Amino acid sequence: MNDMTAMLLDSTRCIGCRSCQVACKQWNGLEAEETSFLPSQKGTARAFVDQGYQNPRDLSDKTWTLITFNEIERNGKLNWVFSKLQCMHCGTDARDRNKWPACVVSCPVRALEKTEKGPVIWHEDRCIGCRYCMLACPFQIPKFEWNKPWPRIRKCTMCFDRITHGEAAMTEPACSKACPTDAIVTGERGKLLAEARQRMKDNPGKYNSYIYGENEVGGTCVLVLAANGVSFDKLRYPVGLPTKPLANQTSWAMKGLPYAIVALLAGMAGVYTVRRNKIESQQNSTKKESEVGTNG
Amino acid sequence: MAENSITTENKNAGGWILYLLAVIGIVLMIKRFIFGIGSVANLNDAYPWGFWIGLDILTGVALAAGGFTLTAAIYIWGNQKYHSLARPAILTALLGYVLFVAALVVDLGRGPVMWHMFLPWMWQHDSVMFEVGWCVATYLTILVFEFLPSILEKFQLTELLKLWRSVTPLIVIVLLTLFTYAMTTSFGWAIAVFAITVVFELTQLGKTGKSRNVPVLLIMAGVLLSCLHQSSLGSLYLIVPHKLHSLWYTPMQPFVFLASAIMIGPAMVIFEGLVSARIFRRKSELELLSGLSKVLPTLLGIYLLVRIAGIIAQEVAQPGAIAAVFTSGTKSLMFWVELAVGVIIPLILLGPKVVRTETNLFWGSLCMIVGLFIHRFNVSVTGIHARGWQTYSPAWSEILISAGIISIGLLVFGYIVRNFPVYEKSALKAG
Repeated sequence: MNDMTAMLLDSTRCIGCRSCQVACKQWNGLEAEETSFLPSQKGTARAFVDQGYQNPRDLSDKTWTLITFNEIERNGKLNWVFSKLQCMHCGTDARDRNKWPACVVSCPVRALEKTEKGPVIWHEDRCIGCRYCMLACPFQIPKFEWNKPWPRIRKCTMCFDRITHGEAAMTEPACSKACPTDAIVTGERGKLLAEARQRMKDNPGKYNSYIYGENEVGGTCVLVLAANGVSFDKLRYPVGLPTKPLANQTSWAMKGLPYAIVALLAGMAGVYTVRRNKIESQQNSTKKESEVGTNG
Repeated sequence: MAENSITTENKNAGGWILYLLAVIGIVLMIKRFIFGIGSVANLNDAYPWGFWIGLDILTGVALAAGGFTLTAAIYIWGNQKYHSLARPAILTALLGYVLFVAALVVDLGRGPVMWHMFLPWMWQHDSVMFEVGWCVATYLTILVFEFLPSILEKFQLTELLKLWRSVTPLIVIVLLTLFTYAMTTSFGWAIAVFAITVVFELTQLGKTGKSRNVPVLLIMAGVLLSCLHQSSLGSLYLIVPHKLHSLWYTPMQPFVFLASAIMIGPAMVIFEGLVSARIFRRKSELELLSGLSKVLPTLLGIYLLVRIAGIIAQEVAQPGAIAAVFTSGTKSLMFWVELAVGVIIPLILLGPKVVRTETNLFWGSLCMIVGLFIHRFNVSVTGIHARGWQTYSPAWSEILISAGIISIGLLVFGYIVRNFPVYEKSALKAG
C-alpha cells in the first residue's frame, strides 16, 4: 500500500552537513559517541575505502542515522558522495504477515511492529533481548546496548512520536525537518515514488535510474536516489537483496508446522501399533512353544 | 547391580577442575549481569550471535538428541535390548536442556522476562524463535516426566508412581494441544491434534504387557517436540540468505539440522557410556554400545546426502554455492575440516566392516561430536558476512562462561548418577 509515510533520500542533494544526525540525537535524546577518527593505524587507507570517511564509522545504539562520506570515482575524477544510513522501515503492508519486515517476522514476542502508518517501531515492555532481529535485518539496523545490564534494542523510529503527534509543525521526522537542502523529504510513499520519477524526468542524465527501496525485500518506506554512475553498494547499501519480503524465507517452515505435527504423531502411532502387534505375536508364539516343550 | 560399583570419586583432579571452572563461570556471569554482555563477550552489532549460540545452544541441544533417538528406538520401535541406556540418555537430555535454559538467561539480553513468549497477547507464531522457545519449554516438561520414575523409585513412592502412570498421558495431551494452538492460533489444528492423541490413548486402554511398560504417548511427544526443536534451530537461519555464506546457508537448513541431530544422538550415547564407565568405574556396556554403533554409518550417510542436497538446493537458488566448496579460502577450509572431522573420519573408524574396539568407538563418536560443533560454529560465526572492519572471535570470558555452565552440568550429572537409579538394568518399570 502506497499511502504509508515514507522518506525520500536524494543523495545528489546532500551536502554532508550532518544536520540530520544532530537533529536525530537531539529529538531522540541520544548520547554522544566516543570516537576516534582513525579506524586503526595499520591499513588505514584500505579501511577508509571500505567504510567511507565518516565519523563515527557506523550506526550504533547511540547513532540512529549516519551520513556516510564516500569517495567515488566518476568520469576520471574523485567525487565526494554523501549518503544517509538509517532504518529502511521495510514493508508496505502492515496487515499482511507475509509482507512483514524481517525484524518483525523474526521477533517471538512482537516487540517489533510494522505500524500501519509506516514506521517500524520497538516495544520495550515486550523485548526479551534475543537479538534475532539484529541477525535477520538485511540492513544491519537494530543495535544493542552491549554495556547495559538491562539492554534495549535501539533503532530509528522515523520519529514515530513526531509523525503521530498531530501538530502541523511535527508532520515529519527530525532529520527531514532539519535538512537544509531537502535531500530528505517525508510524505506518502506513492507520492514520493512519483516525485522521484519526476526528478529523473526533469534532470535527464543526472540520476541513476534505479530507485533503491522501491522493490528491495518487498519494498521499503525509505527510498534512495543516487547520481548517475554511482552504484548503491558504493553508498553502503546492501545490493542484490531479493525483491520478495524476507518473511517468505521462513513462512513455509512455519506454515508447514501443523502438518508436520500431525504427520509425525500419526506416523509414530502407526509404527508403534504395527511393531507392538508383531512383538507380542512373537512373544506369544515363543511362549506357546515353551509351554508345549514343558508339557511334552 | 551397579549400585556398589558407582563410587564417590569427586575428590580427584578432574573433579577439582570442574569445581574451579564452575566458580570462574559463576563469577563471570555475575559480572555480565552487572555490566552487560559487552563486558564479558566480544559479541557486537555485526555478530549479535556468536560462540554462546554456536556451542551452548546449537550444539548443546543437538547433543541432547540421545534422549529422543534412543527412547524412540526402545519404546516406539520396541528395541528392548537398549533399555539400560534409556535413563542415562534421558538424564543427559534433561540436564542438557536445563543448562541450555541457563545459558539462554546469560545470552538473552533480557533473559529474566523470556516467559513473555508464553503470554497469548505477545504470541507471534510466524517467528521461528517463537517455535524454538515453545519447543524448549514443552520438551523440558516432557523430559521431567520421563525422568520422574528414577526419582520416585529412589524414594519408593509406589503410589506416586502409579499416579505418574495414569496422569502422564493426560498432561501430554494438554501440552501438545496447547503447543499446536500456540503455533497456529487455529482451533482446527488444535482440535485435530487433541483428537489424534485422545483416540490413540483410548486404543491403548487395557493393553498391558512387557513391551508396554511406559506411557508411550509421553515418548511420542518427546520425539515430536525434539524433531521440531532440532529442525527449528536450523530454520532460525532461513531468514538470512544475504548474511550467511552459501556453504552453510541452504533452503534445506531445518533438514540439515534434524539429520545431524538424529545422527549425533546415538554417537553421544556411545561416547557418554564409555566415558562415564571410566569415571564411575562401572563396567561399560561395550557390547551394547558397539551394537548401537552399527546404525551410525547409515545415519552419517543420510546426513551427508542431506548436506550435499542442501548445497545443491542453494546452488539452484543462488548459483555459486558448489564452486564455494573450493574457492572461498578460509571458509572452504572450515567446510572441509567440518566434513572430515564430523563425517569422513567417523565413517572410517565406524564403517560397517570395521571391528568395533573401544578405541574406535571412543574416537569415532568423539569426532562426530566435535564435527557437529564445527558445523554449528560455522553456521553461527564462520559463515556470517560482515563488513570488512567488523570482526568477531570469542573472548576468553565467553568461553569460560560456557565452560562453567558445562562443568556445573557434569557435576550435577555425577551427583544424580551416584544417588539415583540411573544406571540400572530395569529402566522405567512403572506400575
